[in-house]
Amino acid sequence: MTVWGAVAGGVVGTIVLTSTLRLAQEMGWTRMDIPLLLGTIFTDRRGQASVLGYAIHFSNGLVFALGYYAVFSAVSHAGWLFGALLGVVHAGLAGGVLVTVLLPAVHPRMGTPWSDAEETPLLEAPGFLLMNYGRRTVIWTLLTHVAYGAIVGGFAARLG
Amino acid sequence: MERVDGYAPIREYALVGDGRTGALVASDGSIDWLCLPNVDSPTVFARILDAERGGSFQLEPTAPYEAERRYQESSNVLETTFTTAEGRVRVTDAMTLTDITRISPMRELVRKVVALGGTVPLRWAFEPRFGYACSNTRIERRAGRWFAHAGADALVLGVCDAGEGALENGVVSGELRLAEGSSALLSLAAANKEPAVLPGRDDSERRLERTARFWPEWSGRIRYDGAWRDEVIRSVLVLKLLTFAPSGAIVAAPTTSLPEWIGGERNWDYRFTWLRDASWTLDAMIRLGFHDEAHAFFWWLMHASRLTQPRLQILYRIDGSVDTTEIEVPELGGYRGSSPVRVGNGASSQVQLDLYGAVLEAIWVYTRAVGRLDGDTGKEVAKIADYVTEHWRDRDNGIWEVRSETTHFIQSKALCWVALDRACRLAAEGLIPDRSDRWRAAADDVRAFIDVEGWDEERRSYVRAPDLRELDASLLTLALLRYHDPRDERIGGTIEAVERDLRHGPYVYRYLGDDGVSGEEGAFLTCSFWLVDALARGGRVDDACTLMEELLRLANDVGLYSEEIDRGTSEFLGNFPQALTHLALIHAACSIAEAESGERVP
Repeated sequence: MTVWGAVAGGVVGTIVLTSTLRLAQEMGWTRMDIPLLLGTIFTDRRGQASVLGYAIHFSNGLVFALGYYAVFSAVSHAGWLFGALLGVVHAGLAGGVLVTVLLPAVHPRMGTPWSDAEETPLLEAPGFLLMNYGRRTVIWTLLTHVAYGAIVGGFAARLG
Repeated sequence: MERVDGYAPIREYALVGDGRTGALVASDGSIDWLCLPNVDSPTVFARILDAERGGSFQLEPTAPYEAERRYQESSNVLETTFTTAEGRVRVTDAMTLTDITRISPMRELVRKVVALGGTVPLRWAFEPRFGYACSNTRIERRAGRWFAHAGADALVLGVCDAGEGALENGVVSGELRLAEGSSALLSLAAANKEPAVLPGRDDSERRLERTARFWPEWSGRIRYDGAWRDEVIRSVLVLKLLTFAPSGAIVAAPTTSLPEWIGGERNWDYRFTWLRDASWTLDAMIRLGFHDEAHAFFWWLMHASRLTQPRLQILYRIDGSVDTTEIEVPELGGYRGSSPVRVGNGASSQVQLDLYGAVLEAIWVYTRAVGRLDGDTGKEVAKIADYVTEHWRDRDNGIWEVRSETTHFIQSKALCWVALDRACRLAAEGLIPDRSDRWRAAADDVRAFIDVEGWDEERRSYVRAPDLRELDASLLTLALLRYHDPRDERIGGTIEAVERDLRHGPYVYRYLGDDGVSGEEGAFLTCSFWLVDALARGGRVDDACTLMEELLRLANDVGLYSEEIDRGTSEFLGNFPQALTHLALIHAACSIAEAESGERVP
């Protein structure tokens, strides 16, 4: 188990997570668009926001991989199954807190349940478990994060 | 104002709101409609749909009185002055805006009573009934306040200088008698899935003052100097109240199931956003200079519709979700017995081709104002145009969402032409991928269909559908959306035919034929304003001005309109207040101003 294995897993896992969510978006299964949500913190131009958002999202993927590695180290165990379990926790954190509560709180262009007539936000809030972006979003969030966790766990265990 | 079986006439209501939800206040001081926490949430007050069970918050003199109402100037803060033989009091009603500098209730409704002269005895009664009066509402007194709660919802009544109140049979009521110059405050703080915030009187009054300052500042940004400026400002203030600030979506009306005919079954839930209204909304906001609101609505529009693109759903929930399942609520008897009361809207499963024209027109209007369209959105728009190319020959339910057999509604086909025409224009500007050869060819086919199958030589007018040789007031939109030049002979003929067949004074009916729903309906106010608009564009400006004046006299005492009106009694019908009616008013005023000045407003 090495930190570089986890980082490599983070890269591959983020690619898989992002591509799968993008596919789900294209298929009309969800309106969830993480790069757009992240990028529009800094600009209201969609194109620029997406580019910026992808960069932030990949950075986040690497940072989370280091978090996974910290847990693997603490329990002296890594593997795809354990990583997948952490992915469930990760999905719960992302869908229940990070994107649904913290992101709207800091996002200058996103509405919150408290936005009133004084505000004209450009992006709707994700809602509980991101379900404002389509009910199936919760399933895709869970599946993609489990896949991410499994990949990070697998890479961390096998590389090095 | 006299209630009939406990029901106030719809025109006796005024709306207060905060951009998240709204309350209907009757001229006798009773708040008979409020959904919490959002405009499409279940009700806590629904007396307007069931006078006995619905729930309300009443505040009324106990002696005979006369009531006079007005909104504070250019504001959504309502003032009702009650005058009795013994004195005068003023009640100020508002939903306050959140003060981010300190913790505020999730939603707050404030009722401030000021004694203007003499002494007026008043009685208040707080009767909350959560969940369309279906939930088990518990009321108890804690920490000097009255708490009502059911499930995850709570409502806290604070009473300052208006007595303590007493609970009896699920109603908290009290009496007050104010000396001249003194005041009392009743505040309702709402919480949903979070602890309730308990505001003090000073906090509530500070937020009320802040709210009263905000509205004139906001409406003061308007760029409109034409005739009927006050009415245009009132209409844009209504639109702002109907805008759901957390997402930018605009509901068609803040109510459900106010009947299109008393005792009838045409009772629908309008607390959704119809894409059809998109072009009118964007154009109105841009024409009047409210670019932030236009920008927010455009983003909502493009984001909400992503799940179904290139096919577009007719209506969406205000949070952008697509589940609008329609159910009936038998626990509520309906306005003056007009049942069923419906929650959700089954029209979302219909095919309505006209909305593609409305959306492409909205995008065209928006891009003309901002001068750009990002690449991803441009690709999506091109796919929508492709979809129209493939589907314009389909039968549909039409703009009026008929529940009878689908057919080839001419207005729907004309809006398909609008969609394809605007796609070609967007492509010519380099804003979307260029497949204009295909779109232009399809547009020519659509026009050939309309001008052959949809034209009635005997009537000298377009007709509702090739198999429905009757008039439909929605054909006026052919002039408004420039299907033909508004001064074209065919448009002029259609306007005259609508006047001949569907107009009675200022009242214009949508159509007279079957639509698959039993019962009658009133005249459709939007169609009256569309007629004003079409007349102005067609060069009959004097006729347009005359009709406009007549229509403005039909508003209620605070300048609001419902969806429909009874020609015999001028009683309002349908959901209230209605965004489309106020949008049509704005466009009619702008078109007259443009016709008179020869320039586009502003």
